[in-house]
Formats: sequence, structure tokens, C-alpha cells
Amino acid sequence: MVHFISKRLQQSLILLFLASVVCFTLVVSAPGNVAVLIAELRGAVATPGYVEQVAEEIGLNKPLLMRYVDWFGDAVSGDFGISYRTGQDVSADLAARMSITGTLIAGSAIIATLLSLALGFLGALWPYKLPDRVSRGLALLGASTPTFFVGALMIYAFSVHFQLLPSFGFSGPETWVLPWLTVAVLPAAVLSRVVRIGLEEAMSSPFVLTAKSKGLSRTAILFRDALPNITPLFINALGTQVGLMTATAIIVEPLFSWQGLGDYFLAGVRFRDFMVVQACLLIFLTFFILVNLIVDLAVLLTDPRIRRQWS
Amino acid sequence: MTVNRRTFLQGAFGAVGLVMAQGALSKLVYAQGASGTLRVAIAKPAGNLDPQSHYAIWAIQDLMFEPLVKYGRGGQIEPCLATDWKIEGGGKTLHLTLRQGVTFQDGTKFDAAACKWNLERWMGLDQFSWMNCSKYFESLEVVDDYHITLHFNEPVLALMQELSYTRPPRFLSPMSVGADGKFKEPVGTGPWRQVKADDTESAFERYDGYWGDKPSYERLEAKVIPDPRSRVAALRSGEIDLVGGFWIAPLTPEEAKQLEAAAVNVVVDPGNVTLVMAFNPDRAAALKDSQVRKAISIGIDRAAISQVLYHGYAKPAGNLFSSALPYAGKQHGAPVRDAAAASALLEKAGWTGGPIRSKDGKPLTLEMVVSPDAVPGSRIIAEVIQSEMKEIGIDLVIRSVDHASKHTDMLEQKYDLGFFLTYGAPYDPFGSIVGLCLSTFKNDVEGKLVTDPVNLDPLINAATAATGDQIEPTIQKVYDWLRDNDAIAPLVYVPSIWAHSNRVQGFTSPVTEYDMPYENIVLAAE
Repeated sequence: MVHFISKRLQQSLILLFLASVVCFTLVVSAPGNVAVLIAELRGAVATPGYVEQVAEEIGLNKPLLMRYVDWFGDAVSGDFGISYRTGQDVSADLAARMSITGTLIAGSAIIATLLSLALGFLGALWPYKLPDRVSRGLALLGASTPTFFVGALMIYAFSVHFQLLPSFGFSGPETWVLPWLTVAVLPAAVLSRVVRIGLEEAMSSPFVLTAKSKGLSRTAILFRDALPNITPLFINALGTQVGLMTATAIIVEPLFSWQGLGDYFLAGVRFRDFMVVQACLLIFLTFFILVNLIVDLAVLLTDPRIRRQWS
Repeated sequence: MTVNRRTFLQGAFGAVGLVMAQGALSKLVYAQGASGTLRVAIAKPAGNLDPQSHYAIWAIQDLMFEPLVKYGRGGQIEPCLATDWKIEGGGKTLHLTLRQGVTFQDGTKFDAAACKWNLERWMGLDQFSWMNCSKYFESLEVVDDYHITLHFNEPVLALMQELSYTRPPRFLSPMSVGADGKFKEPVGTGPWRQVKADDTESAFERYDGYWGDKPSYERLEAKVIPDPRSRVAALRSGEIDLVGGFWIAPLTPEEAKQLEAAAVNVVVDPGNVTLVMAFNPDRAAALKDSQVRKAISIGIDRAAISQVLYHGYAKPAGNLFSSALPYAGKQHGAPVRDAAAASALLEKAGWTGGPIRSKDGKPLTLEMVVSPDAVPGSRIIAEVIQSEMKEIGIDLVIRSVDHASKHTDMLEQKYDLGFFLTYGAPYDPFGSIVGLCLSTFKNDVEGKLVTDPVNLDPLINAATAATGDQIEPTIQKVYDWLRDNDAIAPLVYVPSIWAHSNRVQGFTSPVTEYDMPYENIVLAAE
């Protein structure tokens, strides 16, 4: 087990280093002169001298390798530099915004888990009957509706039409409901199919026949025997969906005026704010790698077959 | 207690119901709390509000910081922190009389010493050399507590307009900086005092010691809502009262139309910014011929662009500047589309054949660079023009780029046709004429709309050197040259669009896109 963890940690660190190279290269290779953009943001009319001063100030005149070394060295020590757009410390901005994105992803993951289990079990309890068809239809609808559209519908229905919930802001549980639901719809749809199909497969296993012969009801078998069997599969799928939620956050946070990492990243991209984009990319990738690590450990703990393999 | 499926589901539904009920309740409480508060949408956090910094939303700085003079409608210069002014010495000396009885929001007196401290924070610094009054600043003399004199080493063009800008000329309390002289907190002389600022909102309370007319309501909250659709939804749901302004939280004509359909109050002002199409004859040889430029110009259906793409809110443009600006020149009607005349001009210029015309075996293909980030809606306008050009035998290729690439491409002249927006009040007309049309003025941000060192520069130099009654005839020569040579193609006057809730009464559009229009608003009782 220790060997497994140390091997996965090593792989994660290598992956993180490669990811830092990729995100730095991607950002700096984008066309356009960022110094001009910053000069424009800072004043109505910028002189050539001022544009040159901006280029010098943000280190654009240094060789690419030096820029990467400077950036990576600082990033490792938690210093992500100064935002070109706002002039504020990127690390401080990230720290303030991380809890917002964390709330979004955690809340959405819980809702997605509950919804998917409910829909999956609904289908498995009454296979090929009306509840199963309804849950299958809802899953198809949820999986094929773009997130921004789901968000717009939620706002229109609950904020504009019924005026039940606020359409923007991050100021309490009532402001969390719509963003959570918006982010949770797609993962819930995907995960509900994972649960439904996983349960169906588990229900056709020999141990189910044994359980049936012992006189257990279908509901009891589903919860007591089939559910533990699909747990590793569900954790794997949930991990992927939680990782993908960082991408969804980029769409959902600006929609609901949540000043989280997704919103920060989007603003950074729009204004070619190198420091912000690089920092956000690195955090997203780190999060993704971390989630995968946690998923691997969780699977190890819930699946005795894998535990035996590494023991 | 055992938790079975039934109790679990009951609990889950109960929890969701409670959260929604709390949401509804808090909305009621919120609505009551909004009494006496104007809630305005802003597209991004207000930022560092130091008037000598460049990061903040102009309109938020406008709430707290005041200039010596204000830019009024039609370009009228009105007293603000200066009650009187006199320009002497051929434009090289400015005598100012300061308003008495003004205090900053921290109680500091506004007088000649405070004025001097503020002006010396920016005048004469290279960073602000884009302003003539800073570029030519020589010295400042305090005459007494309420009189100061500024000396310049050259006559300053549009001096009083420059002093009305939001930044850097507005006044900060000398007590609101740290020991190192660096900006610490935003304290001005204006009617609003900041009480809260973070990434979600900036909140202000009425400053009761304000020298002028105080707002009729006590609080103003600027809510950060980056997504345009969310701003529209928030206005419709009653969570905000006011949205609009090009630099604050822009509304597109499409959104304005949706709001009108939902019975929300929409206010459209003709605006003072012009969308202009630039020709680049240095890259596309065909555009050296004024007949080709004219053919393109009259081949564009400005009325259709205005009606269809701007939903009738924009007016077709026939001039570089609309009559809303001072010294805008003689106003001409917008060219009416005439495809037959355009085709005839191209024939005359030697571009013949079809469906794409050619000359000396070369097809008449032009590249148009557009950036919807920089000029909202420009991609759709370009597509309309593309189809209109096809009708007269021109193959227009559209290249869509992001904001940063647009700047680079325009600077390096990597375009045949491109869109420009004029700066608008209070910078125009001289801001755009010098910044976008004078070849010797280095503008490393937007690139140039049109340049001609031989013919156009002397006319611009004459206009900028003129004083008094001479300004109008000399600047008219610039406009005449642009028109006679079809050097540019003004398309539409971009409207200023605002929308507000029924709580807001007496709303009037701001004079410039850099101001917050709070002044005439009265909030209706709930």
C-alpha cells in the first residue's frame, strides 16, 4: 500500500512538472502583444515608450527559458506574481477565490452523487418499467443539455419568473442552490447511467442468485450486495466528473457572478493576463491530478481485489 | 431512529424546501433593505481606485473623485472644484480660482495646497505625456489659498477638456496616502463615500458634507455581474436597478430589445462614439484608388446595419463625429447604398468581370480583420458587409482575431479593412483626430485609422494649433479632406444604452461613457 502511494505520488509530481511546461508554453505562444493590451487597459492613449516600459516591467524582453524558470521557481514557493490587468497579487486573489470554487465543486459533487444514486436506483428497482424509462429520459436530457443553457433556464425559472432564488452572488445558501444544480445536472446524468448499468451487471452475478436463494428481496440485494460492488466503479466515474467540474466552473461562475477560480481564469484569458492564466491552469491541473490520486486511494480501499494486487 | 429510504427521501426534499423558503424570505428582506439604495451592475470589480492609477472602472472613480471642471452636454465646460478659470499667454498660462467650502470625505480641506499636491502627482510625468497639459507642464504657482496658476511651455490644446478627464486629473485627499506617498484608500470630494469594496461589490454611502447637490438616496451599491445575460436577468428579477454604459456593464441592442419586450425601461442616447471602417492602401494596392474606397463606402447599407443589427438604436453615420460633440464639423447625411453606382465606380477604376472583379489578372480580394472582443458586434457587421461586397464583385475575407491580436495586427497594418471606434467625449474631437489620424503622433495601442503625412498632417497641425474662432474652420478642413478623398467610411454612431427598473425615476444618460449617471435619479417608494 505504501509502495502504491509512493509510486502514485512520484507519477503525480512528474505529471505536474510536465503540466507546468505545457501550460506555460501554451500561454506564451498565443499571438498578440500583451504589453500593448496592458498599456491600453491602463490609459486612454499609450506612448511607445510606455508600451516598452510595460514590456520590461512584465519581463517580456527576457528569453523564454528564463521566463519559465522565474515563473516556476516563484510558483513553487507560492508566488504567482502580479496580475497585469488589476495590479493585484495573484496568490492572494487565488487564495480568496479557491474557497468559492471549492464550495461550487463540493456542493455540486454531493448533489450529483445523490441525484445519480436516486435515479440509478429508481431504474434498477423497477427495471424497464416507467421509473426506469423516466430516469433514462432525464439522464439523456441532462447529458445532452449544455451547462450554460441549464444555467440560463435555472435563472429564468427560479429568479426571473418565480423570483424564488437570487440570480447572482455568493452570499449564503440561497445563492448556492442554482449554481450547484447547474453544475450537478450533467455529472448526475452521466453517473446515474453508471449506477444503473453497474447495478444491472451486479444483479446478474452469481452472488445475487445465492442471495435470492437465501430469500432476500430485490431491494435488500441492491443495497446490501450490489451497491458495494459498484462502489469502485462509481468512485472512478465520480472522480472524472469532479475533475471536469473545474471546466464547468469556468462557464458557471461568471453566469452566477461567483468570483471563483473559473471566473478568474476566464477574465485572465480574455485580457491575456499571463500570470493569472498560468496560475489557474496549474491549479486546475494540480486539482485534477490530486483528485485522481484520491480516487486511486479510494478505489484501493473499497476494492479488495486491487488491495490484494498491491499487497 | 432508523433511517430508511422513505425517511431519507423525505429529509432530502425537506432540506431543499427549507433552502428555497429561506431564499424567498431573504429576497423579501433584501428587497426591503434595498430601500434608499440604488443598485447598479458593473461587469468587473471596481479595482484600484487611485485616480493616478489605470486599473479602475472610470464610473466608480467618478462617484468619489471630482475634477476642476466638468464636461457638460455638447462639450460645455462647467465649474466643479474650480469656480473660475482664465487662459492667458497664448494658451501657456492657466489661472484657476478654487471653490471654497469644499472638504474631502475625511475632513481635509480642499485648497490650493491640496490642489498643488494632487497636480504634482501626475503633471509632467512621462507616464501621462499622452495628455498635452502633462506633456507641456512647466510649473505651478500657488497665489493664495484659493488661487493657483499653471504654466506650460507650449499652448495646450483642449486644456479644459483634459482637466475634466476622470484620470489622472481628479482629486484625492492628501491624507489618504501612506508615508511613502502611495495611494492607500479612495477619499475624494465627491458625493459618495466608499464603505465596502471587494470582488463582489463596491458600496457607497452619501457624503453629507458634500458641497453640491446631494443625491436623494442614501446608498449606492455597484454589484459585480460579469455575464451580460445574468445582468439582464438580475434587472428583470428586481435584484438590480440600473444596467448599461460601454465601460460599466454594456448592454447590446439585442439585450435592450429583449428588455423592452419584457416591459423594462430602456433609455437610448445617440452616443458620441462612431464606428468607422478603415482602409489600408499600404497593404492593399487596390485601396490606393479613391474610386475603389468610394465604391466600398457606398456599397455598404448603413441603414440596414442600423435597423437590423442595432435594432434601430444606432444612427447611420456620414461623419467622423456626431453633432453631440463640439467642433464636429458640418454634418452630412450617411451615404445611401447604391450598388449600381458602386459597380460603375469599380468598372471605371479598371476592376472588371465577375462574379469577383479582377484587374491585370488579379482578383479584387480584400481582408477584413475583426475582433468582437474589441468592437462588440463587429463580426456580424463584417458578415453583412461581406455579402454586400460580393454583390458588387469584391471578395471580402473576414479574419476574426482576439483583442490582443487585433491590437498587434492593427499596429503592424496586417489588414486591408478594419473597424475603429472613436474615443468619444470628453476626448474628442481632438483625441481621435490626433491619436488615430496624425502620422507623427505615436499611438502604439490602436494603430491608425488613416494617415497622410503630406496632405492630412498639415491640416491636423493647423487645427490643433488654432485658437478661438479659428478652430472651427481649420478642423472643418480636416473633415473635408477625409470626405473628399473617401479616406475613411464612417458606419454608425454607436448608441449609449441603459436599462432601469421602475424604482428608478428621472434617469438621464451620462454625458460621457466614463461617468456614472446617478445625478438625477430619484428612487420611487417600494
